[in-house]
Order: sequence, then structure tokens, then C-alpha cells
Amino acid sequence: MSNTKNLFIPIMSGVVLVLGVAYGLTARDHRDAEFQALSDKVATLEENEGYAESKAEAYRSEAEANAQQIAALKDQLAALQAELDAKPEVAEAAPEEEPQSDTVEVASTGSLGDAAKGEEVFKKCQACHQLGQGAEDRVGPHLNGIFGRRAGAHADFNYSNDMVMMGKDGLTWTLATLDAYLENPKALVSRTRMNFAGLKKPQDRADILAYLRVYSDDPQNIPEAAPTAMATREVELSEDILAIEGDPDYGEYLSSECTTCHQADGSVDGIPSITSWPEEDFVIAMHAYKVKLRPHPVMQMMAGRLSDEEIAALAAYFGSLN
Amino acid sequence: MTLNRRSFIGAGAAVAATLSAPMVLGDGHGKPRVVVIGGGAGGATAARYIAKGSKGAIDVTLVEPTRTYYTCFFSNLYIGGFREMSSIGHSYGKLAADYGINVVHDWAIGIDRDAKTVSLAGGAKLPYDRLILSPGIDFVDGAVPGWDVSAQNKMPHAYKAGSQTELLKAQIESMPEGGTFAMVAPPNPFRCPPGPYERVSMVAHLLKEKNPTAKIIVADPKPKFSKMALFQEGWANHYDGMIDWIGEDFGGGNVEVNADEMTVSIDGEVTKVDACNVIPAMKAGKICEMAGITEGNWAPVIGHTMQSRIDENIHVLGDATNQGDMPKSGFSANSQAKVAAMAVRGALTGSKVFPAKFSNTCWSLIDTDDGVKVGATYEATDEKIAKVDGFISKTGEDAALRRQTYEESVGWYAGITSDMFG
Repeated sequence: MSNTKNLFIPIMSGVVLVLGVAYGLTARDHRDAEFQALSDKVATLEENEGYAESKAEAYRSEAEANAQQIAALKDQLAALQAELDAKPEVAEAAPEEEPQSDTVEVASTGSLGDAAKGEEVFKKCQACHQLGQGAEDRVGPHLNGIFGRRAGAHADFNYSNDMVMMGKDGLTWTLATLDAYLENPKALVSRTRMNFAGLKKPQDRADILAYLRVYSDDPQNIPEAAPTAMATREVELSEDILAIEGDPDYGEYLSSECTTCHQADGSVDGIPSITSWPEEDFVIAMHAYKVKLRPHPVMQMMAGRLSDEEIAALAAYFGSLN
Repeated sequence: MTLNRRSFIGAGAAVAATLSAPMVLGDGHGKPRVVVIGGGAGGATAARYIAKGSKGAIDVTLVEPTRTYYTCFFSNLYIGGFREMSSIGHSYGKLAADYGINVVHDWAIGIDRDAKTVSLAGGAKLPYDRLILSPGIDFVDGAVPGWDVSAQNKMPHAYKAGSQTELLKAQIESMPEGGTFAMVAPPNPFRCPPGPYERVSMVAHLLKEKNPTAKIIVADPKPKFSKMALFQEGWANHYDGMIDWIGEDFGGGNVEVNADEMTVSIDGEVTKVDACNVIPAMKAGKICEMAGITEGNWAPVIGHTMQSRIDENIHVLGDATNQGDMPKSGFSANSQAKVAAMAVRGALTGSKVFPAKFSNTCWSLIDTDDGVKVGATYEATDEKIAKVDGFISKTGEDAALRRQTYEESVGWYAGITSDMFG
């Protein structure tokens, strides 16, 4: 018995020692792992902080831009009010010379309008855009030398992604493209930051184009000698076209041509998402490709053979996707 | 559903026996059955669109030998160092799990068109109501004197992506300083018309980085090739003096190789080379021939539905077909698959069928951020698939556009692979 006890103690102490060492090692491993986990966490938190800061910065600059725009719009409002107060008889006497038309008929204007009248119309733009000597970027980029300029390419100006992409695709400001953009900005650049409904009267656009041209030193793209060189736009985005209700079954079949490139789940990976778009924006964009106002060759080709009904069907289908 | 299919496959041989008697669709068995052979851009897309569109009303079985499918498109970018091999590998897990497709990893080795069954190397027999063949390409025997499949380890074709592509890249990387890389380009028609020339660009890019005094010789049996002006402009801009393209006019078609000696004879002139990529003349994947639906090297199809002109119960897709104006490309196969899927669903379940529309765009990378593209739209006529409209990148485009084109190709890759594999 005592022998057993004598043996038992050294054995037990040996076991305890081994267990102790093992525990020590395990505990160290555990501490190492804990240390690693904590460092990872710190790194993640630091990263998040950086991200939050950059976001905050972006929001700050956006807020500043908004404030600037509000101030500019208020100025414009005051100016217009003053103008109205000054000559009420003119305001009353000015009749609508042309009936409001929803149909795009640009080819009819074909030539530049009256720069002096354009200067008047430009007041609608002045809140955001400067033009002339010393013009600088404000809410929008300055417009000196706009003719022949690549869209979204004016250095240091913070354009929308869509505008930059259009520029890379090859969109250049010419009579035809500026005219289309002024008529309905979304026709050319779906998610443009330019918050402007558009000038519906062809004459207004022709006049403003003439005024813009005064400050383009290098008007190589202005077909003065051949006013007909302005692309004939046969697109007629009438209410009728916008009102077409697409067949969703047909849209689904047609959409299979789109999803080879545009991911159906809306992922963006070098090619824009086309899911969950407002139907009207989709229709307008496709028609702009169809008449080759938007420059992308694949899209021009794909849209080129779609009928109005097919475009409507696609818009209905993609609009319905989540 | 899964249970039914499993027991169904398990009992393949027994079922096949009962099927040898003529039968009417929908009579004698439950759901209509579609078997798709080949899990590439044509087959995977067709299987997915049939399963997705029919919402379980059609049993879809996809037969594809490989468990991980490496896309041929973008495999040149692996050679150039722009993509990892793993980034162009895809599994069939989603097609099985999310779309209920019965994915069978086996080789199809025979088709009994009267019994409407497919025999697999593993011994099973799969009955079908409609069969879709999308087997891609095989090589024409004896097309390049001195080369056969036994030489493909020394002189890889690398025209079916995977281990061959890795082998070719490894051989190029181990070329001695100032060594010579040769390519034997294929005659028309062949898979991916700009493919050999994008590959030349990617090899040049790799060599420019690792072995800038190395030379590239291309022996080509054709007088011209896809995007020729764009590639030649790019080669002059990026790899001046490195690439020697020998076309038909200079004897590029008069070629013989010796894989043991590592020599290439072009129009009688023998050159010792350090790496050699032989891309022989092509034909439809062997199973088309075995099914007896080929005429010459390819399987003729009706453009409206992609049905074989020889057997209306078989649809053929992609590179294996003779269809008309479309190039043999992954994009084309994907486009044709959707037309076939619609036609098959229409025939088997009476779903709506719309007029066939096809399109294709092929992007190629010449050097870092220098992408170009060519594309067209097509429609079905009674004679063939006919081109409607097309475009091609222009020479002299600015760097921003070329970069955008490359980025777009990356987006397209993500798009088409999720369209194929879910």
C-alpha cells in the first residue's frame, strides 16, 4: 500500500507536469489566436474608419454642390421675378409660337439659330454653367469650347459615371448630340447629374447652340458649310411610343440576348446593369442607340433591329426584375 | 423529382429496352426528356434555359465529361498572364442544385436515333424526346503533316482549354533567351476566328516581359484573318519586330512539323523552334459523326430552330454546326442555345415560340488595356442563319476607348458565364 502510494506521487506529479506544460502550450496557442483575431479586428475597424471618412467626404462635397445649386437657383428665380415685375406686358404678350410637341424633330432645324436669342435662353442654364471669358466650373462644367469636346472629358470636373462612360464610348459634343442632350438629357446619358428637364422647342435649342458656338474657338465639328450634315434624327419618341405596353413573355425571350453581357442579377462588372430601370428611361435609351445618337457600337447594333414593340417588351421585362 | 430521375438513370438499361418500341410523345412515360451532350457555351446554356423556362415540366440531363469546365474564351488571357486558370474554371453545381438539371459526368459514345437513346461510356443509356448536341470541335486527322494527338504533349494545340493551355504556357515560359515560338494556324472554318491571333498577342506580351529577344513565327494557310488590320496595327505598336506572320502567299499553308526534333518546315524552310503551338484543321465533335448527322466536317442545321437537317429530334449548337454566317464562338453558341431552348420547349410543352434572333460579339486583347471587338446580328432564313448588321473596332482608336473595350470584355465574361452556369 505504502509502496503504491510512493509510486503514485511521482507518477501523478509527472502527469500534472505534462498536463501543465500541455495546458501552457495550449493557452499560448489560444493567446496567439486571440492576439491575431484582435489585430484583425483592429485592422478591419481601421479600414472601416477610412471607408466611413471617404464616404463622409463624398457626402460633404455633394451637400456643398447642392447648396451651391440651391443658391444659384434662388438667384435665377429672383432674376426671373425681377424680369417679370419689370415688364409684365411682355410676359403676357408672349404667345406660345409653337404648339408643345412631344415628337422629336430635330432635322427640321438643321442649322444654327440666333445667338442673341440663345443668350436669353441660356439664362436657364446659368445657374449651373458658365460661358464666356473667365468661365469656370461651377455645379456644371464651363461650356467654353464645348463643340468637338469629348463628353465627360473636361479635366478635374466630377462627372457622373454614365457621362464618363459615354465619353469613353466616343460621345463627342456636336450639333446633333448637343441638340439631343438639350432636348432630353436622359436620351443620351441615362443617369446624368444634370438635373434639367430639357428644352422642348427646337428653335430654343438652335438658338442656344448658336450662342454656345460663339465661345467655341475650334468649331471644326460645326457643319456651317453644310447645315444638312447634322445627323437626321428620325426617332419619334412620341407619347404613342412611350405608351406601348410590352409583351412580357416576348420581353423575356428577347432579354436572353441582353443577358449574355448584362448580368441578369444586376451585377456590374465592366458592363452596366440594366435591371430595375424605369421603363421610360429604358425606352428612351434604346431609341437613342437605335438612331446612333449614343455611340456604343454593340448597343447600336442590338437596338438597331428592335422594333418599338420589342423595345417596350424589353423595358417591361427588365423593369419588372428585382 | 430528384428521386425519380435517379431511379430513372439507375434503371437506364431497362428503360432503354422498353423504349426500343416506337412511341408517341407523352405516351408511356411522364415528363418529356431532353438530353444535352456537352456542357460548354451551347450545352450549358441550353440546359439552363430549358430547365428555367419549363419550370420543371421537362426533365433535363446534361452529359459532360469534365467536372470543372475551363472556358476556351479568356484562356488566351491566362497565357498572357491576365487571368488565373482558376478564374476560367466553372462547376456544374448550380445547374444541378438551382435548376434541377441532372448533370452526368460521362462521355457520350453512341446515339441510337431510332430508339432515341444515348449510350454513355459508363454503360448507361439515356432515352430522350429531344437531343441537343453541343460537343464543340475535334481535329481533322492528318491536317498538319507530322502532327497527331500523340504529339500534343510536345506541340500542344491548346484549343480545348485546360491542361493543354497550361502546358503551352509552361513551354513558352521555359524557352531559352532569344528562342523561337511557332504557331501553325488553322484553315477556315475553325473555332474562334480571332483566337489564334489573340493568342499570338498574348504570347508576345508574355515574351516581352520575360524574354524580349524571343521571336514568334506564325504559319498560316489563310491569306487574311479576323480583325487582321487591328491585330497588325497592335503588333506593330506593342511588339515591333517580334512577330513574323507568314500567310498563304508566302507558303504559310505548306507546313510540316516534327515534334521529336522540334522543327517546323514552312514552304520547305526548316526552322528549329523552342515551343510550338499546332492548331490543326477542325471538324464537329466526334459524337456528331457517330450520330450520322454530319455532312462533310460539320452538322448542318435549320436556323429557325437549330434542328439538325438530318434528324428533327436532334438540335445541334455552336462550333459543331454548319449554320451559315455566324462565326464559331462561345457567344454564338450561347445565342443559338437560347433559340434551340425556345424551340424545344415549344415542341415539348407547347410554350410560345418567337422568331429566332442571334447575335455575336468577339472581344480580343492585344496588350494591356488594348481591347478590340467585332460583332454582328443575325436572323434565320430558310437557307441559313444570315447576317443582318455588324461592326468592328477601328484602327487608331484612342487609349480610353480601347481600355473601355477590354473592361467591357471582362464584364461580358462575367455575364456569359453566369448565363451558362447560373
